[in-house]
Amino acid sequence: MEAYPIGSLNPGRGDEDMVEFNVLGFLIDWSTFFAIYAILAISLNLEIGYTGMANFGKVAFYAIGAYLSAVLTIVTFLTIFGVSAPLYSVDAVIALGKHGAELPWLNIGLFILSIILSAIVTGVVGYLVTYPTLRVGPAFLGITILSFGEMLRFFLRNYEPLGSTYGLFGVPHPFQWVPDPTVRTGIYALIVLGIMFGVYLYAERLVNSPFGRVLRAIKDDEVAALCLGKHVPRIKATVLFIGSAIAGVAGALYLFYLGSVNPDMFIPRVTFDIWAMVILGGMGNNKGAIAGAAIITFVDRALTFITPSLGLTAYITPDYIRWMTVGLLIVLVLLFKPGGLIPEKPIKTPALEVANKIEEG
Amino acid sequence: MPELLETVDVAKYFGGVRALDGVSIKVKEGSVIGLIGPNGSGKTTLFNVITGFYVPERGEVWFNNEQIDGLNPNEVYLKGLVRTFQIPRLFPSLTVLENVIITPPYQIGERVLDAPFKKRWEKQEIDLAKKAVELLRRFGMGKYIKSKISELSAAHIKMLETIRGLLASPKILLLDEPAAGVAYTTAKELFEYILRLRSEQGLTFLIIEHRLEVLMDYVDYVYVLHNGRLLSEGKPEEVVQDPKVIEAYLGG
Repeated sequence: MEAYPIGSLNPGRGDEDMVEFNVLGFLIDWSTFFAIYAILAISLNLEIGYTGMANFGKVAFYAIGAYLSAVLTIVTFLTIFGVSAPLYSVDAVIALGKHGAELPWLNIGLFILSIILSAIVTGVVGYLVTYPTLRVGPAFLGITILSFGEMLRFFLRNYEPLGSTYGLFGVPHPFQWVPDPTVRTGIYALIVLGIMFGVYLYAERLVNSPFGRVLRAIKDDEVAALCLGKHVPRIKATVLFIGSAIAGVAGALYLFYLGSVNPDMFIPRVTFDIWAMVILGGMGNNKGAIAGAAIITFVDRALTFITPSLGLTAYITPDYIRWMTVGLLIVLVLLFKPGGLIPEKPIKTPALEVANKIEEG
Repeated sequence: MPELLETVDVAKYFGGVRALDGVSIKVKEGSVIGLIGPNGSGKTTLFNVITGFYVPERGEVWFNNEQIDGLNPNEVYLKGLVRTFQIPRLFPSLTVLENVIITPPYQIGERVLDAPFKKRWEKQEIDLAKKAVELLRRFGMGKYIKSKISELSAAHIKMLETIRGLLASPKILLLDEPAAGVAYTTAKELFEYILRLRSEQGLTFLIIEHRLEVLMDYVDYVYVLHNGRLLSEGKPEEVVQDPKVIEAYLGG
């Protein structure tokens, strides 16, 4: 069974694509979504949880990663197989379907290249978009990136070479040449989980260092950090570079899972889904961000799989139930565990070990 | 001895308020200078101008034969000019030790590319941690090393601000009311330590203080600010006799 990604975390698709319930399919689907959103949650956590920068436009960098990978892959395929058609045309989609499984190394190569390029380009864009706002104040940063994301979406909606509102289709899966779709998506899920783990390790090492200490200092008191010789604007822009680059990677992974992109997948709500994950899991803790992503993607995927069998009317979509569930979870967590499920912990640097040794005697 | 820090005719206005109106002070290397004056006389504003917090309307600030007015606070800090705040600005999500260890500039582990590789900065970190612990112990804060800031008393928070400045090995320390809210004997100890640092390491101090009874025993020279202007200056024993100073403090 092709594990179609369905429903609300993927607003571009309608529920008419619903397939019958399948446990393995569900697990593959959920773990892929979980890993992609965990990557996004870790990147947001780096910004809001550790540095205190409210990024309300995470989705923009996610979108850039996805679109960039789509364009890169489609253009390369069309060039290699000598098809001269617009990227979004039916001819292009047919050609991609025909040749998509012929050269395994091309698929894999493009996958890797897309990830690297997405990281670099989104990182640079993140740095450029946010650098001018950093000197003004934290609220400006959030609003600027939020509107940047929306502007980008409307630009994409109206830009015909990238398929306007229909977006781009038929991007070959990196493992298109694997005949069994379950195996194909299974391998892909494992790879995405692996990348998520890599991102997690990187983020953990980054924050459990003197650099992480400076980030927390900036979150607590920017002015004091500045007066202690830390170049606060540059450090913040660096964090946004890293956070945006990670979001770009997630965008590339999302694209290759779906095989298509359209502008309305990247509505601001996606950003707030990621926020909900970070709030739920615990700000300033990467494990928390992952836990939050696991819970919310689970609720989301489970609801999209289960709701049709509940026999509800068309007015109650999985979306509504999901909103209520996520809202309820956030309220409960904030009531009973205000720091999130896994709250912030002290930084693990050798300084702590020295302190421990001294305390022991 | 050469002048380490000098302000020349510095002025700073906030709307119609002349917070500083042509203040010139000189701080010789290795001296301990007091800066006193009634509330609102412009002492902290002068600190803020010196440390790059405010750009002065007029005048110049020289440090180590370099003009430093117009530099950002972080650049001023890196030149070796370290300040504390009147209302302590510590980092509540860091422990006491981390609040101290964060101050030394140019730490290897603070560079984003080196940060993920513990091997590159581990040694420096441990060295700094040991120095920080030693400093904290000297001020009787050894048992609070792993505490959060919220668990400390006001006096300890005040002390911690000063201790934090010391680890950065500055050329000059600008202390904004280091003894406010600190017990008399502890305040004495703090100033004794300041004198020792001066003689051992040649550190220079510029100190704002309201508690003249503590300050006057330890400083070489005093500047008195009033309404943004220098009212008087001189040796501490001369300044306290100055009728203008007495009037400013008592007559309001």
